[in-house]
Amino acid sequence: MTEPLDNWFVREILPHEAALLRYLARVWPDASEIQDIRHDAYVRILEGAGRLRPTAPKALLFSIARNLMIDRARRSRIVPIDLLGDLDSLNVLVDEVTPERRASIREQLVKVTEAINRLPEKCREVLWLRRVENLSQKEIAAQLGVAEGTIEKHMTHAAHLLPDLLSAAEDRHADSRADLSAHEGSPRGK
Amino acid sequence: MGNRSASESAAAAWIARRESGQWSEGDQRAFDSWIADSLDNRVAWLRLSTSWEATDRLKVLRSGVPTGTVPKPEEMQSPFFTRAHVKTAPNESSRPLPRRLQLSKAGVRALAASVLVLCAAGLAWKLFPSNPAYETDVGALEAVPLSDGSRVTLNTDTSIKVDLTPHERGVNLARGEAFFEVAKDPTRPFVVHVGDKRIVAVGTQFSVRRDTDGVRVFVTEGVVRVEQSEPGEASRSIAQLHPGAIAHAAADGVIIQTKPVAEVEQLLTWRTGYLVFDHTPLGEAITEFNRYTRHKIVIVDPQVAAIPIGGNFRTTSVEAFLRLVESDFPVVASEQDDRIVLSGAPSSPK
Repeated sequence: MTEPLDNWFVREILPHEAALLRYLARVWPDASEIQDIRHDAYVRILEGAGRLRPTAPKALLFSIARNLMIDRARRSRIVPIDLLGDLDSLNVLVDEVTPERRASIREQLVKVTEAINRLPEKCREVLWLRRVENLSQKEIAAQLGVAEGTIEKHMTHAAHLLPDLLSAAEDRHADSRADLSAHEGSPRGK
Repeated sequence: MGNRSASESAAAAWIARRESGQWSEGDQRAFDSWIADSLDNRVAWLRLSTSWEATDRLKVLRSGVPTGTVPKPEEMQSPFFTRAHVKTAPNESSRPLPRRLQLSKAGVRALAASVLVLCAAGLAWKLFPSNPAYETDVGALEAVPLSDGSRVTLNTDTSIKVDLTPHERGVNLARGEAFFEVAKDPTRPFVVHVGDKRIVAVGTQFSVRRDTDGVRVFVTEGVVRVEQSEPGEASRSIAQLHPGAIAHAAADGVIIQTKPVAEVEQLLTWRTGYLVFDHTPLGEAITEFNRYTRHKIVIVDPQVAAIPIGGNFRTTSVEAFLRLVESDFPVVASEQDDRIVLSGAPSSPK
């Protein structure tokens, strides 16, 4: 009765993407490489979990990312290792969000809405008609008066942009949560 | 490793292809071999398709929007959002704090309430029809905003019909369980109809669950009244419930327990997709899980049913739950026909 690896990955790893990107952005000086490091960390953890599921997936994900950065810094002549940000702020970060914290349905809906509202207009329209109204590609093409191939192109573009937009929305909500607790005088301070 | 860009572009194209309605056997074969080709591809696919699936949530915003119309971004700020997220306008950077974020909590609530009224008056009436019906499948969980600013969360296998009139906000619970967060409106009571029972609230939070042995009401905020309808007569009040109350109304009467509100909240964790058990007999836990799956679990051994268990479990991960039980207790799960049978493990010879 072992759970399929893909399901495990979607449930245990993907939800940490916004936190992981935040960590990478803090440590790694070259923003253009952050998504590559994120991707490589995913590949590594999926590879490892295929043999044995880690008991602390989030902590492992972050330490893989950390090691990848150290490797990259060693190989690269451009990023001397001492220019990296604080690699060991890691432990603080891993505890920042408890593993039990899953977004409520309302939060998810708010995030998804924000994400699609930032898609290019045509992509957003096509996505709504397909995903919400369940219209076929043909019907959408007829309604918008364009070729089916154009619809497929908008859909491809939307699918490509969505993960980053969702992470960005997640980030904004993480910020607003932090602000809130500071304002309510949470005993942990800011 | 190291092929992120190409893999992600290909994954996006596969998603669009799958959505196009022209998916052929050849596509399927090409896709299978693409995904088996590298972990880069598999990671990109899982990530992009998960985000894509997440847009499924938007379906709850659909009700009442005319077919073929895409709401404008600003129209999607329905009361549903405004209430909870008045603090985060999407285009504002979070620092420095905009002035209105510095309002007191009460101020924020008042602001939320006034925005709520504006929205409700301005567009919600147009966006939402007055008597929609909603249903969830076994294992599903769905939050539904109502046009008066209230919100209903439907648990597994639940069916409701909404009927909003100028005098009453009515919801008929035909099956299952739902949690209600009622927007305050003293002029229009919020009434949940369950068979011949009426559960009446003004502005409050409570859950109603319909089982074969009657109706259960869980109150976490405000005051709720349970009424009995008699044919041809005005309905009469049979119980008044305060926060922390759990009422079980059966054909022959009502039993009311009062617990700390936190404990009642624990019984309603299904709203977040979790079941929480604390010294719960395994038999009862299984009864709960069985509501979320068609693949029913049966316990044959009364000793097994009595084992006390605790922990948080996702409503949809029955398998993970069974694995844990099997590893921690002398219990074996075996598949028989379309059921899973739990029985005591033969004591291991030592």
